[in-house]
Amino acid sequence: MAGIRVESIEKTFGKFKALSGVSLEVRDQEFVVLLGPSGCGKTTLLRIIAGLEYAERGRVWIGDRDVTQLPPRARKIAMVFQNYAVFPHLTVFENIAFGLRMQKVSAEKLGAGVERAATLMHIENLLERYPAQLSGGQRQRVAVARALAVEPEVLLMDEPLSNLDALLRLEMRAELKRLLIESRTTTLYVTHDQVEAMSLADRIAVMNTGYLVQFDEPMKVYQEPANTFVGGFIGSPPMNFLRLPVEGRQARIQSLALDLPTGVSSQEVLLGVRPEDLEAHTQQQPQSFPAEVLVVEPLGPHLLLTLSFGKQHIKATVPPDFDVRAGQTLWLRPQPDRLRWLDPSNGQAIPMR
Amino acid sequence: MNLRLLYLLLAVVLVLWVLTPIFLITTLAFSDRASVFAWPKGFLPQQFSLETITFFFGVEGVWKAIRNSLVVAAMTLAFSILLGAPAGYALARYRFAGADSYRVLILLTRAFPLAILAIPLAVQFINLGIYDTPFGVALVHTALALPFAVLVTSSLFLGIPKELEEAAWTLGCNRIQAFLRVVLPLAIPGLAATAIFAFVISWNEVFAATLLTLRERTLPAFLLTSLNDSPLPFRFAGGFFLIVPALIFIFIIRRYLFTLWGIANR
Repeated sequence: MAGIRVESIEKTFGKFKALSGVSLEVRDQEFVVLLGPSGCGKTTLLRIIAGLEYAERGRVWIGDRDVTQLPPRARKIAMVFQNYAVFPHLTVFENIAFGLRMQKVSAEKLGAGVERAATLMHIENLLERYPAQLSGGQRQRVAVARALAVEPEVLLMDEPLSNLDALLRLEMRAELKRLLIESRTTTLYVTHDQVEAMSLADRIAVMNTGYLVQFDEPMKVYQEPANTFVGGFIGSPPMNFLRLPVEGRQARIQSLALDLPTGVSSQEVLLGVRPEDLEAHTQQQPQSFPAEVLVVEPLGPHLLLTLSFGKQHIKATVPPDFDVRAGQTLWLRPQPDRLRWLDPSNGQAIPMR
Repeated sequence: MNLRLLYLLLAVVLVLWVLTPIFLITTLAFSDRASVFAWPKGFLPQQFSLETITFFFGVEGVWKAIRNSLVVAAMTLAFSILLGAPAGYALARYRFAGADSYRVLILLTRAFPLAILAIPLAVQFINLGIYDTPFGVALVHTALALPFAVLVTSSLFLGIPKELEEAAWTLGCNRIQAFLRVVLPLAIPGLAATAIFAFVISWNEVFAATLLTLRERTLPAFLLTSLNDSPLPFRFAGGFFLIVPALIFIFIIRRYLFTLWGIANR
């Protein structure tokens, strides 16, 4: 077991700057998810930590070893690939045993190691099969078992669930969580799926255009996004951003005045508020503002409303039995302790207090 | 419906076009002298006899030519794989400056007429002391087979996902171990097909073999030079022995080529 530390990693592919000085620390036994849209550099960062790519600048530490110059085999890592990369010419047993054979462990240790990893992934009855005879989900299990069998200091996973169909993905997600709580292996996990990130991570590292944007616990990232990108990327539907005029130390939404944190000197401010933090009422309420319903989308657990407030659009969720039609005017009451203020000039969050 | 009929007709014509000479050569190689000269010829071999074949093997120099052909073809096979596979691997796995022009250049060597090269090559071979040796012929045959070997192995290696190798690296392999344990087992069928093709190219090549040898003739070169002043049965038997290995090899390759496609499409 060991932590991971990367320091100001830079990487370019031709003219494309994939990583612009990323620093990140994963604690021992922690599960960190690298989250971001495609092309943000998350997979490149993972591959640099694995030793499959080399950074132009910066250092990589695993535990207290500087592994920047080491080849993948000397880093004591294991990796699970997006397309599983299960060896098609070897049986499931030999696939799982592959890493242990390279370490030249004794025959009984090899058998025990394969047994343990296979049992963890519930594939002990498939050991004699070849990968071609397995389903996608089973191949995925073999890939994870193969990585766990070598008892790596660090487990790296590159979008391991993205090739599975939706139902199987949900099942494997829960199982991965159970598994990694059991094995307590330090894990760095790459995904573009924010739900996956929220559900699995101890901490989420949000990346965009080669930069690390925010690194915090899932609920913190969700509730207190560092900028408009994070607020918009995480959460479905995304966070609302309302551009509001500033009057003294307050922002004004029609008759509703909201207190601003100190230090706001600009003419305008962005209010970040999640759709579920807007309480909808059919009658006028104190501490609320009116908005006209444009679209009603019944999604099952709730209704998703699109409303217009002046020229700006707002998304809000209401209970499924809420009686509302397009064209109606609703009064929205923002939850006062769930508001986020951002600077409209650069999209950065304004610190509270 | 008419179009279907047309296709069928075309297929029949094509099949007859290829099979008739092979059929004639095969039946006449196993007939007695009389039926070789008979006209019109019957559909089936009339008189089965090993007379022609026995006569063919009785001719002085035939066994030596066959042995030379085998040696040259085996050397060509080995050189083509040993030189072609690494080049194919590099083309498949690495992006390097000039990779694309390198691909075209490889094909260009095939477009260069051997006839222009032959005389300077013969002079050079005499100077080097490899004129009239199987090794010298094998070098030229390798040059002929190599473009094919490089391009086919490169598409073969492209069909093997890079992640498999990377997975092997993370599991404790260095590059060579990963190649031997993961890539090679998956590439064997395609490499076998490439090897057999190189063998057939060498076995059937006549021009360079004729020009670069005097006493150490390969079978095609030997036949070519002795064809005009040999009896008809000898020609049939000789033709038969040129066709047979190629046919057998193509049948073996066929299966491997499908496997190769299977890998490429995965």
